[in-house]
Amino acid sequence: MLKMTHLQKVYRTHLIETYALRDFSINVREGEFVAVTGPSGSGKTTFLNIAGLLEEFTGGQYQLDGVDVHGLNDDKRSKLRNEKIGFIFQSFNLIPDLNLFDNVDVPLRYRGFAAPDRKKRIEEALGRVGLASRMKHYPSELSGGQQQRVAIARALAGSPRLLLADEPTGNLDSLMARGVMELLEEINRHGTTIVMVTHDPELAARAHRNVHVIDGQVTDFDDEPTLRKPALDDSTAAEAVA
Amino acid sequence: MFAYYLQLGLRSLRRNPILTALMVVGIGLGIAASMTTLTVLHLMGSNPIPWKSDKLHYVQLDNWSADDPFFDDGRPPDQVTYRDAVALMEAGKADKQAAMFKLSLPIQPENKELKPFQSLGRVTYADFFAMFEPRFKYGGAWNRDQDHSHARVVVLGKDINEKLFGGQDSVGRTVRMNGVDYSIVGVLDDWKLHSKYYDLTVGAFSEPDEFFMPFTTAIDLKQRASGNNSCWKTPADGWDAYLDSDCIWIQMWVQLDSPARLAEYKSFLDSYVGEQKKLGRFPRPINNRLLDVTEWMRDQRVISRDVEVQTGLAFAFLAVCLVNTIGLLLAKFTRKSGEIGLRRALGASRREVFAQFLIESGVVGLTGGFLGLLLTGLGLLAVRALYTEYKTVAQLDWSMIATTIVLAITSAVLAGLYPTWRACRVQPAAQLKV
Amino acid sequence: MELRPILSALMRSKVSMILIGLQVALTLAIVCNALFIIGQRLDRMHRPSGMNETDTFWFGSNGFGQGYDVKAVQQSDLALLRQMPGVADATSTNSVPMSGGGWGTGVNLQPKQKTQTARTTLYMVDAHALDTFGFNLVAGRNFKPEEIESHTQSERLQSAAVIMSKALADKLFPNGDALGKQIYLDDDSPASTIVGIVERAQQPWVWADNDSIENATLVPTYLPYGNSTRYLVRTEPGRRDEVMKAVEQKMSEANPSRIIGKLRSIEQVRREAYAGDRAMAIILGAVIFALLGVTALGIVGMASFWVAQRTKQIGTRRALGATKFDILRYFQTENFIITTMGLIAGGILAYAFSLWLMQNYQSPRLPWYYVPIGFLCLWALGQLAVLGPALRASRVPPAVATRSV
Repeated sequence: MLKMTHLQKVYRTHLIETYALRDFSINVREGEFVAVTGPSGSGKTTFLNIAGLLEEFTGGQYQLDGVDVHGLNDDKRSKLRNEKIGFIFQSFNLIPDLNLFDNVDVPLRYRGFAAPDRKKRIEEALGRVGLASRMKHYPSELSGGQQQRVAIARALAGSPRLLLADEPTGNLDSLMARGVMELLEEINRHGTTIVMVTHDPELAARAHRNVHVIDGQVTDFDDEPTLRKPALDDSTAAEAVA
Repeated sequence: MFAYYLQLGLRSLRRNPILTALMVVGIGLGIAASMTTLTVLHLMGSNPIPWKSDKLHYVQLDNWSADDPFFDDGRPPDQVTYRDAVALMEAGKADKQAAMFKLSLPIQPENKELKPFQSLGRVTYADFFAMFEPRFKYGGAWNRDQDHSHARVVVLGKDINEKLFGGQDSVGRTVRMNGVDYSIVGVLDDWKLHSKYYDLTVGAFSEPDEFFMPFTTAIDLKQRASGNNSCWKTPADGWDAYLDSDCIWIQMWVQLDSPARLAEYKSFLDSYVGEQKKLGRFPRPINNRLLDVTEWMRDQRVISRDVEVQTGLAFAFLAVCLVNTIGLLLAKFTRKSGEIGLRRALGASRREVFAQFLIESGVVGLTGGFLGLLLTGLGLLAVRALYTEYKTVAQLDWSMIATTIVLAITSAVLAGLYPTWRACRVQPAAQLKV
Repeated sequence: MELRPILSALMRSKVSMILIGLQVALTLAIVCNALFIIGQRLDRMHRPSGMNETDTFWFGSNGFGQGYDVKAVQQSDLALLRQMPGVADATSTNSVPMSGGGWGTGVNLQPKQKTQTARTTLYMVDAHALDTFGFNLVAGRNFKPEEIESHTQSERLQSAAVIMSKALADKLFPNGDALGKQIYLDDDSPASTIVGIVERAQQPWVWADNDSIENATLVPTYLPYGNSTRYLVRTEPGRRDEVMKAVEQKMSEANPSRIIGKLRSIEQVRREAYAGDRAMAIILGAVIFALLGVTALGIVGMASFWVAQRTKQIGTRRALGATKFDILRYFQTENFIITTMGLIAGGILAYAFSLWLMQNYQSPRLPWYYVPIGFLCLWALGQLAVLGPALRASRVPPAVATRSV
């Protein structure tokens, strides 16, 4: 699903070169729930940005769902992002001027789905996160946990193959955090691959596999993860969304 | 505290120089456009003789053809006939009265180094000077006896006295005009009029009169007016027939010192026209008017339509500039909501935040106003270049400078008020959490 | 087009939208009406006078003193002018088109007629007038030398033959058979016969409306005003300025007991006559220019601010799959919506403003096409103004979405 080999990311200024990632390799298989952990400044966010095609890398190889993304132009990367990846951000990144319906609609519009299809997807996605009744509400009217659920619905609505979560519970209290975590696990059970960046060991422990990053390098790379097969009926449910 | 806010305001303005420049230039342009046109409008329409403008009245009688009104809207003719002017002068029913017309005469200087030149002046009665109150530099007006005796006397304007006599006291000397010698009884001082309100029939902004001479004298010498002459019936041949005709070419002013006198004079005019009707003249219904100075100026549209339209457009332009500034300040203050929240959290009261931002917009207004003042100066230069006859009205005076500055600050504060109010609504805590 | 979500987002920040919309509305209303006024003025300024304006000039002579024989001076002046080198022809006249001063009278078809059939200006000229003015004779003939009468100011004007403009002839005789017909200049003057018709001859007053501006009649008369006479001179092509100097010199020398007034080329006469219209057009042009500039800069300022304010949102959109072009289009669509709303209001305002001008200034109705053209221009202006900020927005990197602040 997501395969990086000897990936390298260097930030250059005219004075110094800083390695954000050096010789970074990871292989996330389809259906996995991987937690990427590490202290702050270790390169977690850079990894996430590159994985999500938000940033380019300077060396090595990266294959996303079998597509070599090296050298793709900006438009192709946008399209790939839109089709294959769902994002969940630490600070939710909902658009304050849009109601929940329109927020979830954002990636679907860029996808170019027809209006009835979009409507169906939005209603389903918001239903999955338990907010179907609040479609006309604005983000500012919701609690943090609810906002993150909307963000998850937005990530899910396009039925992506990969969900990238950046400290998804970082801005939530523990009760809300647990709810969000349970939701992510439930989504994963339906077959969506999830890569979650976090510095919270408790959260990381709930993933199938942990990858620890220090100084831009993977220090704890478990090549043989224990993979829980998704139940067949669950997978059809996921297909139905797609 | 004011100094502190001022300092904050200036610092904030310096931080976004382009945005600040945009606002200042916007206000400056808007102010300049409105003040340039407003100045012209103000000076054009300004009351030339405020202390007695309600006492001076322009006489209009309707001697026009029964079949054709003089003006389509029914206003009476804008001048009177010779015989009516003289009849009204001789009746002398007003407190002061002066018939007049414009006359162009060749002047033959004594000084042979000067070539003869054509000069535009005014033919009128002694009362003219007491009514319109020009200041004399030397000598004074002629008297009513000289009106009666058709005296060959003249009052010179300051400029022509400068030209002929080097500005010296020329009272008692003579000046030769069209082959006739006139003795000088007075020389006027500067007489700066924004509009030549006593004769609006030939344009409100024509050149000032260079000489004044008795009406009776000019008629003696069979001098025809250089102003407008309108006839609804072609007069018979000869000078006397012309004087006797229904052609209008004379302006008639009266001074009436009280409303009672005005009413008396009105009824006198009505009875005069009634008498004339018996003689077969004045075929139209009685349509006499006695407009005072400001009414007459309005009637004659001293403020041109173009200037009115320009002023309207300029103020609409100012409105656009203000809306522009509101938008930009709003943008700016909204961006600073974090800072506001912090200040509020650190103990600034809502009023203090309000003061701080209002001062910032005030600074924008003041700078804009100053720029506007400079641009108004340029604007008036441009108006003078475009309209050569407007040189008397395209000038900044102190009242207009003050108005400009007040307008600028008011504009900017008004424009700053709403954005500031919005800025103040920021809750102390709202912006602090990340 | 993602019109609806942009619109609903806009509705959440109404004030900014209203401010820009208001600005656009006022701009449209002012620009349409100002452009219309400019157009009217330019039309006025370019009305043809019917005469040769490039090679002609005119001036006055004011005699003074007793014993000044104005009639004799007039004849000798004309003779002198006509034989001067570079002079093509010269005539005496009381006025010229656009000069602002002249003689106006009624024209009647019957003697003692009560209301005038039309009004006309009279140019009191001699047989050289057609050649000097350069009026184009389209029917009939020129005056004959023996037809030129001689009058003084106090005498009743009469002339057996007149030449008039085609416009006036058609007004008096709508069947187009004016030539040879008799008219009466004013109430009880003897009849005059129309002996010639010129294609076009303007009257001296430029404030006249288009319906009456070409009501002009040429009368074969020498008529000095007191001791004043006026002459129109046409020079050989290209020699006007040089001949003007020579004429000024010669005329002063020819008779010391008179004053030669300022010589004015007809081009200058036109310039002076329309100085007010020109000034109005320039001033309104400057207002339009400044207005469009301020509005454009206002849009740039607001859009820049919005882009800065929504950097995170743009990053998020990019992360969610928006291409650079999607972002660019977002801001352009947003601008289009705001501008369109402003324009709709501005269209109404433009017609209201025009109505006000019509009621207070007898101005004609704003032609319908000004507003749609204004729409196009302001749409273009808005799109151009927003282009910079929108491009900046499209360059916001998607990684902004994961930045913590």
